[in-house]
Amino acid sequence: MKQPLLEVSGLGKRFGGFVALESIDLSVRTGERLGLIGPNGSGKSTLVNCLCGTLRHDSGSVVFDGRPIDGLPAYRRTRLGLARSFQLPKPFRTLNLVDNLRIPLLYTVNARPGARLSNGAIDERCRALLADVGLADKALRQPRDLTQVEMRKLELARAVASAPRLLFADEAMAGLSPSEIEEILVVLVRLNEQGITIVLIEHIMRAVMSFSTRLVVLVAGQKIADGAPQEAIRNPEVERAYLGE
Amino acid sequence: MMGTGKFWVVSFLVAVGALVLTRGFIANDYFFFAAYVVLQYIVLSTAWNILGGYTGYTNFGVAAFFAVGAYSSVVLHKLTSLPVPVMILVGGIMSGILGFGMGYLTLRLKGVFFAIATLALAIVAQTLIVNWDYVGGSRGIYIIRPQQSPLYGSYIQYLYSLMLILAWISLAIARTIERSRLGLGFAAIRDDELAAEAGGVPTLRLKLIATTLSGALMGMSGAPLPYYVTYLDPASSFNLSYAVNSVAMPLIGGMTSWVGPMIGAILLGTIQQLATVTISSALNLLIVGLLLIAFVIIAPNGIVGLVQARRRARARW
Repeated sequence: MKQPLLEVSGLGKRFGGFVALESIDLSVRTGERLGLIGPNGSGKSTLVNCLCGTLRHDSGSVVFDGRPIDGLPAYRRTRLGLARSFQLPKPFRTLNLVDNLRIPLLYTVNARPGARLSNGAIDERCRALLADVGLADKALRQPRDLTQVEMRKLELARAVASAPRLLFADEAMAGLSPSEIEEILVVLVRLNEQGITIVLIEHIMRAVMSFSTRLVVLVAGQKIADGAPQEAIRNPEVERAYLGE
Repeated sequence: MMGTGKFWVVSFLVAVGALVLTRGFIANDYFFFAAYVVLQYIVLSTAWNILGGYTGYTNFGVAAFFAVGAYSSVVLHKLTSLPVPVMILVGGIMSGILGFGMGYLTLRLKGVFFAIATLALAIVAQTLIVNWDYVGGSRGIYIIRPQQSPLYGSYIQYLYSLMLILAWISLAIARTIERSRLGLGFAAIRDDELAAEAGGVPTLRLKLIATTLSGALMGMSGAPLPYYVTYLDPASSFNLSYAVNSVAMPLIGGMTSWVGPMIGAILLGTIQQLATVTISSALNLLIVGLLLIAFVIIAPNGIVGLVQARRRARARW
């Protein structure tokens, strides 16, 4: 069997006396569309933060593409091909949209060994990425001119600009209308078809169910289900967590 | 927009032109005495802006870097007979090291906590100098200027020329950063540090570059000070007004561009020099205060911000 793209074993994280994550095992295969769900406070975002290097985990190990990445700072992980979008969009607010995407291109794509993109090529790539998410006509605007859904798209475009192999989309659809959710889903599926493995962290069940090929459920810092989406949500423990006894 | 190479050439010619013209046509030494201070503030505010404006970290410890540059010259003056440009270089290195150290120790702090730490640094540095007898301690130290200027003209004209060159170098460095990959990385840190890191920006390394560079330039602007004042004491060399002015000038001029600190320094520095002569130097801080209040209300993005907004409005028309 091919080795997984991301292999997490026994990962734990505490905040003082509070156990946020307890011995999480998770493996993500190349090309997969993985849904990660769980009630509020179940540790989804903490898990993403630990995997992307924003937080340091206390125990366990994370192997990305055959290489242990425990303790690597976040920017090194991004350079290895592990990108994320933030739950609350964090655009570079004083920079226009093109420059927002220029940063990951300059600092990630051009920092990797191999061919360096010229300034012209970077400009072109920024515009192409913006066009991909339907923001081409706002290329020189500032983030404050964007709507909520456009902000989410910029957030995704910026994560994709680093040419990742694995993308964590952290609640990319929270607060959006059904048609807007559809728009984001289309973007995500297309990215996946282009070869990016995607982990979708989401509350909106309809979106997760239609997107994911596999579902992982976290409850109170523990993984309680992992498998085909339809089976995972019928798991009695999951039902209990979501619907109560 | 002007290319970087062209800018270096053009700005160098402007600096040399200013040098030749002022020294050729102005006979009054007082002009150079006053202009030196304005130029010194161009260097200080530009240096402050590299960390404060571009990277978003407020440094209230300007006086520490400035005075370390000045006192490193005092030590060199006592030990050696090196020319002032070399002392400027050494002062820059000393303050650069201080900047690196400060960055390493404090950059995990953000916002107001970082600002307070820098203020504390200035107090610690002042305490050390006050208790260091070799450089005069709290009574201060007299520096005897060489009798002759190494170049033509009076000694003050020589110091003025050095400061003019230093101002040119700082502005050119600031402008180069602004248009580079480094400048974009600084802006990303200023806007959102987590997002910058997630975008591949090595934030700690870039912040260390900013504190080191900013500190080094401040130290360089302080290095000729002992020769300028000829009597140096901790109370004046660590004066809070250095920090207040270095923060106020970029705020008034505009923090997003290298032009801003320069405009702010020329405007505020000149007003202060005029007020010192015509009314009283005690008025200087009041002037800064009033101007700051006015600008925070009328033009929060400084003069450069006002011009940009007007240009944008016209483009949209």
